[in-house]
Amino acid sequence: MTESIPTDSAQAEDSTEPLLTVEGLRTKFATDAGSLVAVDGVDFTVEKGETVCIVGESGSGKTVATESITGLIDQPPGMIEGKIRFNGHSLTSMTESELRSVRGNEITHIFQNPQEAMNHCYTVGWQIVEAIKIHDEDVTDAEAKARAVDMLDRVGIDNASSRFTDYPHEFSGGQKQRIMIAMALVTDPDLLIADEPTTALDVTVQGQILQLLNDLQDEFEMGILLVTHDLGVVAQIADRIVVMYAGKVMERGSVFDIFDTPSHPYTQQLLDCLPGRGSAVGGIPGKLPDPTNHPDGCRFAPRCAHAVDACKTGSQPEEITIEGDHSVSCVYYTAGYDRSVVEPPSSESTGKKTEVEYSDD
Amino acid sequence: MTEPLLSVRDLQKHYPIKKGWLNRQVGAARAVDGISFDIQEGETLGIVGESGCGKSTAATSIVRLEEPTAGEVIFNGSGRGGASRNADGTHPNDVTRFDRRELKRFRRDVQMIFQDPSSSFDPRMPIGDTVAEMLIVHGMNDKHRRRAIVEDLLERVGLSGSDYDRYPHEFSGGQKQRIALARALVLNPSLIVADEPVSALDVSVKAEILGLIRDLQAEFDLSLLFISHDMSVIREICDRVAVMYLGEIVEIGDTETVFADPQHPYTEALLSAIPVPDPRSRTEQIELTGTVPSPTNPPSGCRFHTRCHRVIQPDGTDIDQESWRGLLNLRDSIAADEVDIEQIRELAQASEPEVTVETQIRSEFGIASLADSVLDSAVTEAIEQLAADRQAVAAETLAEVVWTPCEKREPPETTHSDGHVSRCLLYEHDQPETVAADD
Amino acid sequence: MATERPDRFDQIDWDEIAGSTGRELSVNLKLMLLTGTPVVLLGLYDHFVVGAREATFERLGEDLGLASQFEAIGLTFDPSSLDILFVFTLFLFLWFVLLPLYQNPRMTRYYWKEFKRNRPAVVSLLWLGLIFIGGVIGPFFISMPEQNLIAAYQPPVFGSVDQVHVSQCMGSIENGRCHGTWEYPLGTNRGGEDVFAAVVHGMTVTMQIAFITTTIVAAIGITFGTVSAYAGGWADEIMMRFTDIILSFPTLLFFLLILYIYGAGLGMFILVFAAFGWGGTARYVRSKALSVSEEEFVKATRISGAGTYRIVRRHIVPNTASSVITQLTLIIPGFLLAEAQLAYLGIGDTAVPTWGQLISSGRNAIDFAPWIVLVPGTVLFFTILAFNFLGDALLDALNPKAESEAGGE
Ligand code: SF4
Ligand code: SF4
Repeated sequence: MTESIPTDSAQAEDSTEPLLTVEGLRTKFATDAGSLVAVDGVDFTVEKGETVCIVGESGSGKTVATESITGLIDQPPGMIEGKIRFNGHSLTSMTESELRSVRGNEITHIFQNPQEAMNHCYTVGWQIVEAIKIHDEDVTDAEAKARAVDMLDRVGIDNASSRFTDYPHEFSGGQKQRIMIAMALVTDPDLLIADEPTTALDVTVQGQILQLLNDLQDEFEMGILLVTHDLGVVAQIADRIVVMYAGKVMERGSVFDIFDTPSHPYTQQLLDCLPGRGSAVGGIPGKLPDPTNHPDGCRFAPRCAHAVDACKTGSQPEEITIEGDHSVSCVYYTAGYDRSVVEPPSSESTGKKTEVEYSDD
Repeated sequence: MTEPLLSVRDLQKHYPIKKGWLNRQVGAARAVDGISFDIQEGETLGIVGESGCGKSTAATSIVRLEEPTAGEVIFNGSGRGGASRNADGTHPNDVTRFDRRELKRFRRDVQMIFQDPSSSFDPRMPIGDTVAEMLIVHGMNDKHRRRAIVEDLLERVGLSGSDYDRYPHEFSGGQKQRIALARALVLNPSLIVADEPVSALDVSVKAEILGLIRDLQAEFDLSLLFISHDMSVIREICDRVAVMYLGEIVEIGDTETVFADPQHPYTEALLSAIPVPDPRSRTEQIELTGTVPSPTNPPSGCRFHTRCHRVIQPDGTDIDQESWRGLLNLRDSIAADEVDIEQIRELAQASEPEVTVETQIRSEFGIASLADSVLDSAVTEAIEQLAADRQAVAAETLAEVVWTPCEKREPPETTHSDGHVSRCLLYEHDQPETVAADD
Repeated sequence: MATERPDRFDQIDWDEIAGSTGRELSVNLKLMLLTGTPVVLLGLYDHFVVGAREATFERLGEDLGLASQFEAIGLTFDPSSLDILFVFTLFLFLWFVLLPLYQNPRMTRYYWKEFKRNRPAVVSLLWLGLIFIGGVIGPFFISMPEQNLIAAYQPPVFGSVDQVHVSQCMGSIENGRCHGTWEYPLGTNRGGEDVFAAVVHGMTVTMQIAFITTTIVAAIGITFGTVSAYAGGWADEIMMRFTDIILSFPTLLFFLLILYIYGAGLGMFILVFAAFGWGGTARYVRSKALSVSEEEFVKATRISGAGTYRIVRRHIVPNTASSVITQLTLIIPGFLLAEAQLAYLGIGDTAVPTWGQLISSGRNAIDFAPWIVLVPGTVLFFTILAFNFLGDALLDALNPKAESEAGGE
């Protein structure tokens, strides 16, 4: 498999390079109403064994951003610009067939709706075996089967060996999502891209799926790039968070940075929507800007309570590093402004901080 | 205590299952199987449960979108209050007995909001007309007055009057749910039944809509029956909550009480599933294993016993709870002939290093070895029988020694405090001696 | 309640209003009744009163004592019953398809925006519009092609034919070849009939077939389908089995049988094919109606207290309509082809100048006078193609979906 991928020899060996690096990603679509810029210059990285969450409302461009990584966007009408490096290779310079082999093997996807992602004419066992065989051509039937059952067992399908020959419709929604995860993991990927994997599921099942992803990550040492609108999900699983709004990154940082000291007005409001935090009723007034015609200045300005004139001209404020890798794109953090206006009230953040450091085992 | 606005008594909705040429009825799916609760004026009651537990069917049966199979739905709102039972025991306000005219009157008093904003509007009708249609149906022929009312209402739910002529596809999901609220409100009902009104929405939009519902409720003194699978939403909006499992209410009480002190393992499991928006408390949630039963053939005794993580061990048995659950799962799987021994054998041989069939099965069910020797040898024997292709014998072997009180006896209703009732054998003895009889 | 009627929803005095149901005739229905009734009366008059050889309007003028006035404005022609039926369906089309488009400009604009994306379909629509206009007003300006054996096999303008084939060349003769003239822009056939005139009159017939058959098919199919879907149970079962029979009925053989026993014209052709052509539509409408009635908006209407009639009329039918229109558009080519085939085999209605007749009249002369076959053949081909393109495009355009909420999430 690897032979077919052009190797950037100088950097392939460089162990300090992250698993996935996305730089200046810009994805646009040609539409009747003009060019729609869904993702407008976004950078992020995913390290081995790390979970990065991209958070945003629907329409923020988060799904397009992840689908651009493996070229799942139809081109045209889509158009992807920017640098995407994965495992030392540049994904942007690959041909479609090379990309396809990366997509099924080293980077795998799971989607929101397991219903639609499965072939209902074949047994789930057959589908997983198929995935294994595509990945590894020398495998014998018996081995492939054993691996498939083992995988089903590991993703928590009870009585896996007997259910191997069941058809998708014989499983519940949560079980289907588990099977999708099994299918995504049989090829032992380095990166798993999960797009709203729990949104279509009952709350009871949501937590279990997240738990499962967490456990499997420890076991397989893969990177996870999770896309969701639900910060509650993020708190359960993320190591680092990228908050997106209208195609731009608003804030990024570790999960503790974001939850303890949310520094961007948008992040603060998103957090306030969460039940069990903030008021949970009220939401964010206003709506996302028209993606074919983004406002000047800060994209969030039309809905931001703190917006000043400077927010409405020029382009999105530069990302300012607050501390470590916590950075935020808001004018109040640039020179000449009083950042305490938009900083989270410190009493709350200290109140939340506990002596005991959370240890991620 | 004042008369409740709505009181549901022993409501049932069974769907007949028909087979064969002559459409003979061979059974019934008991989607709702005898639920009772009250809603007071201005109160919000939540019904929570997993998909398939019958909560939506309960909603549609109460408003008579579907005809309930049995039971009473007594609606005392809008000047119907104070009625007493007829001589034959029926109630004049029983919705299930309303005739056409009474039902039409009832439609003005109870309205509904649906889950899916994308399908709850006629794609070919301007949304203003959709809302105004409610008025036409009830006889308001004055076109200009209809328009004025609807425009005013659209403004109250946070849209603008000029949206009247726009079509559903021009609105976002959150805006559509606002319009749905307008449609539910336009006849000025006293009760609104909301079936998962926010579960298809983004978190931020969800919060907006919940806020709006709450404001409107206060302004127009509405009662609400709020159906959701999401405990965290229930906590935000409901005064009381009823937890439904497989067609039955297993626990009901004040939201705060139920959240603070759940008296049923299923409620515990639901509560543990609420994501905590705090990265420091990544709690382990309770995982329910075992088979999800079908409403056509509900389990005996406590309906939750096939999945309950706290399922009771009989006197004399004392093994760790997880193995106990695994053991019951194994028993149920063998009894249902779901263990495919051929597959397992093949698999056991293929695995690295090769293992016996028994080890394979034991590991799949999480019962590597059991502290109780009687049970352990029963497992060994059952697996041997199974390997010899004698599934019935294997099932019997296990059934003899593995049983739980939970499947023998239906748990009675236990009152824990005023209005807090649950049905679980574990909590049966908690019954306070006397419940303070306050009026 | 003080002076004015309050226009707030929570201050409506329902006791004052309740009781009456808001059922009134829609503007569309009123207009249809207004325009359709005279047409129906005329049809009945034509059928029962007017003799076979009399011109309908002439007789009408006499009966009304207005003969001279009628003659003065040129109202002397004799519409066939097909023509009258055609006018009736045109009114239906006008009041129930075109007028609603005008009444709902936002929706129309949306449909048009979606439809416009499909270039071939726009061209198809133009083409069909041309055929339609030609078919409706053409016969008033271009008279029916007449036999004129002297002018047989005249070539089209810019075309030529070997002199030996024409008895008398109307154009110039150069190098032994007869050249076409503007008198017969598309040439003539064996009988000396003007191909252009025949094609224009063929348009009328084509449009008559298209409109009348679809109207009949739609009327039976939609009624049958919705009733079946809503009745359910045994009624549904019986109606659907009946539909199966209709679907498997050998319509062509049946038509041939009638043809041999009684003889049959175009009217009979339309009647028979439409009467047995609605099976697919009924089935389609039924399944669509069933799925629409499961939608939440129908539940929401039911819970408003609306009766079944209202739900079916206001929600189910309009929402099945878009797919039905598509389906109907796609079955028209079948009827047109069937007609052309019958005509080609020489068992069509020779009294009516259809494209099929024209093609058939040219098949023996195809080696030296190919235009007789080519011209109507091409027109027929493009018309059928256009209906197919149109059907596909309508399928996409008439189903409003939520605009992807920004950025294809
Ligand atoms: S840059 Fe201005 S508009 Fe944007 S978030 Fe900061 S204060 Fe608000
Ligand atoms: S009765 Fe038994 S099975 Fe049912 S909930 Fe209580 S402990 Fe669980």
